[in-house]
Amino acid sequence: MANARVVRWQKVLYERQPFPDNYVDRRFLEELRKNISTRKYQYWSVVFESGVVIQQLCSVCVFVVIWWYMDEGLLAPQWLFGTGLASSLIGYVLFDLIDGGAGRKKSGRTRWADLKSALLFITFTYGFSPVLKTLTESVSTDTIYAMSVFMLLGHLIFFDYGANAAIVSSTLSLNMAIFASVCLASRLPRSLHAFIMVTFAIQIFALWPMLQKKLKACTPCSYVGVTLLFAFSALAGLLTISGVGAILFALLLVSISCLCPYYLIRLQLFKENIHGPWDEAEIKEDLSRFLT
Amino acid sequence: MTKLHLNMAYRRVNGNGHSITSKLSHNDYGIHQLHRTGTHNICMVSDFFYPNMGGVESHIYQLSQCLIERGHKVIIVTHAYGNRKGIRYLTNGLKVYYLPLKVMYNQSTATTLFHSLPLLRYIFVRERVTIVHSHSSFSAMAHDALFHAKTMGLQTVFTDHSLFGFADVSSVLTNKLLTVSLCDTNHIICVSYTSKENTVLRAALNPEIVSVIPNAVDPTDFTPDPFRRDDSVITIVVISRLVYRKGIDLLSGIIPELCQKYPDLNFIVGGEGPKRIILEEVRERYQLHDRVRLLGALEHQDVRDVLVQGHIFLNTSLTEAFCMAIVEAASCGLRVVSTRVGGIPEVLPDNLIILCEPSVKSLCNGLEKAISQLKSGTLPDPEKIHNRVKTFYTWRNVAERTEKVYDRVSREAVLPMDKRLNRLISHCGPVTGCTFALLAVLNFLFLVFLRWLTPDSIIDIAVDATGPKGAWTQQYSFCKKGEENKEISESR
Repeated sequence: MANARVVRWQKVLYERQPFPDNYVDRRFLEELRKNISTRKYQYWSVVFESGVVIQQLCSVCVFVVIWWYMDEGLLAPQWLFGTGLASSLIGYVLFDLIDGGAGRKKSGRTRWADLKSALLFITFTYGFSPVLKTLTESVSTDTIYAMSVFMLLGHLIFFDYGANAAIVSSTLSLNMAIFASVCLASRLPRSLHAFIMVTFAIQIFALWPMLQKKLKACTPCSYVGVTLLFAFSALAGLLTISGVGAILFALLLVSISCLCPYYLIRLQLFKENIHGPWDEAEIKEDLSRFLT
Repeated sequence: MTKLHLNMAYRRVNGNGHSITSKLSHNDYGIHQLHRTGTHNICMVSDFFYPNMGGVESHIYQLSQCLIERGHKVIIVTHAYGNRKGIRYLTNGLKVYYLPLKVMYNQSTATTLFHSLPLLRYIFVRERVTIVHSHSSFSAMAHDALFHAKTMGLQTVFTDHSLFGFADVSSVLTNKLLTVSLCDTNHIICVSYTSKENTVLRAALNPEIVSVIPNAVDPTDFTPDPFRRDDSVITIVVISRLVYRKGIDLLSGIIPELCQKYPDLNFIVGGEGPKRIILEEVRERYQLHDRVRLLGALEHQDVRDVLVQGHIFLNTSLTEAFCMAIVEAASCGLRVVSTRVGGIPEVLPDNLIILCEPSVKSLCNGLEKAISQLKSGTLPDPEKIHNRVKTFYTWRNVAERTEKVYDRVSREAVLPMDKRLNRLISHCGPVTGCTFALLAVLNFLFLVFLRWLTPDSIIDIAVDATGPKGAWTQQYSFCKKGEENKEISESR
C-alpha cells in the first residue's frame, strides 16, 4: 500500500519527509542560473565605444602640446584665440544642426542666454587673467608641473565615459582639468597668454565633449572620422615635440582601442555569475510617484 | 581580570552543589574522553544573544533549552553587552558566558583570529566541551570559535541563518572567508533548502555534510483570539524591522494604493528602522493618520497581541532564509500574503499563504485576493489554521534533529593538523589557502604556548549546571518548564 508508492522528495519544510536531513535530491540546485545578465560583446562595437577614451586622451595631449608651443613662443596667442573662436562658432552651429534643434527645444534654452553666459565668462576670465598670472608665482615650477600632471590624470580617471560607476563625476573631472589649465597658464609669459589658455581649456574640456556626445549619438560614421582625425592631429602635434613621446602615445592609443577590447571579450568567456532564489529581489518600479 | 571573573563564578557555583564539586574538581581534563554516553557537552557560540533580540538569538535560546531537556549539557558563549558581562544563568541552568571582547560593528566582535584563543580555550577545557556549535555567518566570534575548536581537536558544527548574493565585491570577500571557515567544519546546518543551496555554493561544500533543520516557533505563544479584532473593518498587519531588505519601499506603495480602493481598510505597522520616515511621509501625503498606525519597536512578548488585532499579515521582504514572522502570523490564524523570495515558498503550504512577486502591483493583487476571500467568508477559522500550523515547527523537533547531527559528528574523527592544512590549501585556492594554513599553524603554536603556561590539568573543572550530572537538573524538576522566567539569577 503505502510502501508500494514511491515517495518523492518535496522542497518543503512543513512536512516530515522520510529522508535524512542531509539528503541531497536530484533537484538540488535546479533553480541555479548562470550569467543571466551577461552581455555578448561584438569586437568592433567595443572598439567603437573605446573612441570616447581615445578622444579624451587626445584632448589632454592636444592641450599640453598647445601649451608647450605657447610657452616656447612659437604660437601667437591671438592666432590661437582666433582659431578657437572660429571652431567654437562652427561647433555651436553644428551642435544645433546635428539633431535638428531637438535638444535645444527640450532644454528650452535661448540663444540669447548662450551669448550672455559666453560673454560673462570671457569678460571675467579676461579681467582676472592678471591675477591668474601672478597667483602661483611663489610656487615652484616643478610643483606646478607635478600638480598639472596629477590633475590631468584625475580628469581622465573621473571623466564620464558613459559607465555607470560610483567613481564617475563629470564635475570633479572638469574642475581638475580647469585647475590644471590655470596652473599651466600661470607659467606663460603674459596675462593675455593666460587668458587665452584658460579659454582654450574650457573649449576643449567642457564644450568639445558635449559636441562629441551628440555626434556619437546622431552620426556614428562621422564620429569615427572625427576621432581618427583628432587622434592623428594629436599624434602629429606630439611628433613635432618628441618622436619617442609620439611613438609611446600611438602605442597607448592602439592598445586601448584594439587590444583592450580583445582582452575584454576573451575574459568574458570566463565569467560565471551565479543567480538563484537566494538573490535579494530588486524593486524595479519607480516608487517615488507615491510621494509626489 | 577575566580569569578572575571565571574563578569567582566558579566559586559561586561551588557553594551551590558542593558534594558534586568535590568529586569532580580534582579530576583531569581527560575525563571528557570517557564522557561519551550518548549525551554531549555542547558549547553554542555566537555574537548574537540575549539581550539582543532577533531570529538567531531566540533560535540559540530555544534550541539550548530543548537540548537541556533531552539531557545534554549546554553552555552559551557570547560577548559582553554593556553592563552584562561575566557568567549568567538563565532558565533551567543554561549557563551563558559574556566575554569581554570589543564590539566592532553591528554587535559583531572584531577578529584577529588569535586574541580570543586564551579565553575560549579556558572555557572549552573547564566546561569539558565536546562539540562547538557556532551560529550565524555574520558573527566573527562564531568563526573564531570554530577555528580554535579545530586547533584544539574538538568537533565543530555551524548553523547558517542568512542568505548571501554572489554579485558584489563585499559578498565575494565574505564568501571566501566562509569557504575557509567551513572547509574543515564537521557539519553545517541550514534553516531552509534554499539556504542550503546558497551555503553549499558560497562555501564550495559537499552537500552531504549540510543538513536542513528549519527554525521553529513556540505555538503556545502564538494563539489566535478572534475577539480581539474589529470585524467592521479589515486590518492588515505588518511586523518587521523597517529596513530596505524587508521591502518597506514596496509597503510605501501598497498603503496608498489599497487605502484609496478600500475605505474600510486599516494598516498596523510594528517595528522600527531607518525606513520609518517614508511610511510617515506616505501617511502625511495621503492623510491616513487614522488608518495607518505605526507602533514603533515591539517587545517580543507584545507581538502576539498586535498580530491578533489583524485579519491579514503582509510580509514584503526582499530576501529571507526562513521567515519566522509568517509562521507566527499563521499560527495566530491570520491570512498570510508574502513575497516569493528565498526560502519563503518552502515554509507554509499553498493554502495557508498567498505568494506574490516583489512588486507593488503583484502584492496588491495578492492582498485584494485575500480581502475578497475575507469578505466572502471563505477563509478557514483561525483556530483551524492554528491547529494545523502548530504541528509544523516545534523546537523539540528541531532539537531532536540537531541531536542526530551531534551524534553523527561525534562519531567522526576531527581532522589532524596535517590533513587540515592539506584541506585548507587544496580547498581554498593557493593564496588564501596557504595564508590560512600558516595562520592555523600559528594558532596551534599559540595553543602549545598556552598549554605550557597553564596546563589543562591545573584548570578547574566547572560544575555542570545541566547535563547528566547537572547540579541544576537534580535540584529542579523539568515540570517547571512552563514558567517563563528567563532570568533566574540576574544578580548572582
